[in-house]
Amino acid sequence: MNWAIIAVVITILCILLFFRRFEKAEVSAKEIALIATMTTFAGISRIPFAVFPSFQPTTFLVMITGYVFGAQTGFMVGAMSALVSNFFLGHGPWTLWQMLGWGICGVLAGFLAKQVQGFSRKRFAVLSALCGYLFGWIQNIWHWLAFVYPLNMKTFWATYLVSFPFDTLHVFSNIVFTMIFGEIFYAVLKRFQRKFSVEYLECTE
Amino acid sequence: MGIKTKERHRQSEEEKMRHRLQPATVLLYLTVVVFLSLFFTHPFYLLALFLAVAIVIFSFDLIREWSSYLKIGLCFLVVIMFVNVFLVREGATVLFLSPAIPGLGRIRITFEALCYGAGMGLRLLVIISAFCLFMYVVHPDGIIRLLGGRSYKIALALGLSLRLFPLMRADFLRIMQVQQCRGVNFHGQGWRERTVKTIPVIKVLLLSSLERAFQLAESLQARGYGLGKRTSFMRNRWRIGDKLIVVAICLVLCLSMWLVMRGQTEFHYYPRLQSVGSGDFFGAVFLGIFLMIPAFLNWGWKKWPTLRSRI
Repeated sequence: MNWAIIAVVITILCILLFFRRFEKAEVSAKEIALIATMTTFAGISRIPFAVFPSFQPTTFLVMITGYVFGAQTGFMVGAMSALVSNFFLGHGPWTLWQMLGWGICGVLAGFLAKQVQGFSRKRFAVLSALCGYLFGWIQNIWHWLAFVYPLNMKTFWATYLVSFPFDTLHVFSNIVFTMIFGEIFYAVLKRFQRKFSVEYLECTE
Repeated sequence: MGIKTKERHRQSEEEKMRHRLQPATVLLYLTVVVFLSLFFTHPFYLLALFLAVAIVIFSFDLIREWSSYLKIGLCFLVVIMFVNVFLVREGATVLFLSPAIPGLGRIRITFEALCYGAGMGLRLLVIISAFCLFMYVVHPDGIIRLLGGRSYKIALALGLSLRLFPLMRADFLRIMQVQQCRGVNFHGQGWRERTVKTIPVIKVLLLSSLERAFQLAESLQARGYGLGKRTSFMRNRWRIGDKLIVVAICLVLCLSMWLVMRGQTEFHYYPRLQSVGSGDFFGAVFLGIFLMIPAFLNWGWKKWPTLRSRI
């Protein structure tokens, strides 16, 4: 059985499922504009950090968006920031896995927001650390399935061990960005969330 | 759209065949090459895929762009070789056996593991090269157009996002200049000082970007976004070049299915390398030739004006 192809197909289906859900949902113009803006913000933030492997603020930006605007917006911003930023940094087999990885980070942050009142820097930092490793592990799955033989626990751990320093650097960067920008970004995004949620009522006379 | 991307696509004013290809055709080519490379383990077939994509890249004058992709590929190649050669203990032909290392045991490097690592490295290069071709042949607007028919919300968000890239960059530079005019010095201090001074810039950038998003949304609403059913018009001209490439891809798929059913595309690296026959060689050659069709069309395009008007 070709596990690499199965993994690719499952990943594509997962992403398409989320995209379809988004397409079917009632999405306002404000949400679209917000997703586009945060996607650009997350995507553009990768470029100055492209020289430092794994040290970038994208995961934090995706997570804070998911935390404030919900899991669906978090997934869309995560998946699209990988897609858009790779138009500048270069598309490759990694694009698909980055889309899934960042998308999941956005979803998890959205779930965390439901458990917590306001912004909990500690909890967000812990989740961002976990997401740092999770993101790396998602990238590794395909690498292990497509390029390593035999597929057993030994080679699985070996593959993960090779990426461990990079994943740890990613975790470190997530914590640093959460500590520096966490509260500022939460306050700004929350303010815009309130501003975006204004409803126009029909006037009947 | 990003400045680099724009420049990349404007590099040559003269029209090239690759700019005429439909994004769907190139996406199909990429998908087939990637999936076939994952199906095949035989080095002959992987080599055929690699050479075919390389020749198409060469004929499309994308060697410089490809070389930067290959550099990234080489980093991954090192990881693949490392894991397969040093950590996998399969294979019968032992090349090197180290003394016992605490925690790792004896490192056993085999010829088969080395060949497997090289084979998988080749697979990676095929995939990376196919993505490089896709990246430089298909304009980002082409992808948005491709999505536009059915997934218009995603296409809209993607299109807006691509166009916000240069605006956000310009905003960042403008805010930095304003801060410098106010006496903030971003250069010549320690990283801690610089970080502290950059935080307000990032905050203002986020605020102004979100403010723009708000205006953008108002503008979309003013233009009737979300009111009733959306109409769309798409005019995709499928030229003969596209059709020929699609036919070639179909032939590749048929040939591949036949080869897979015969078990020719599989190669056993362990415990010893299997022997290869002339049938494997000819199968790989035919497969490669079919995948080189875009390159042949491009050469025809360059050489014969009659063909150019038809493709």
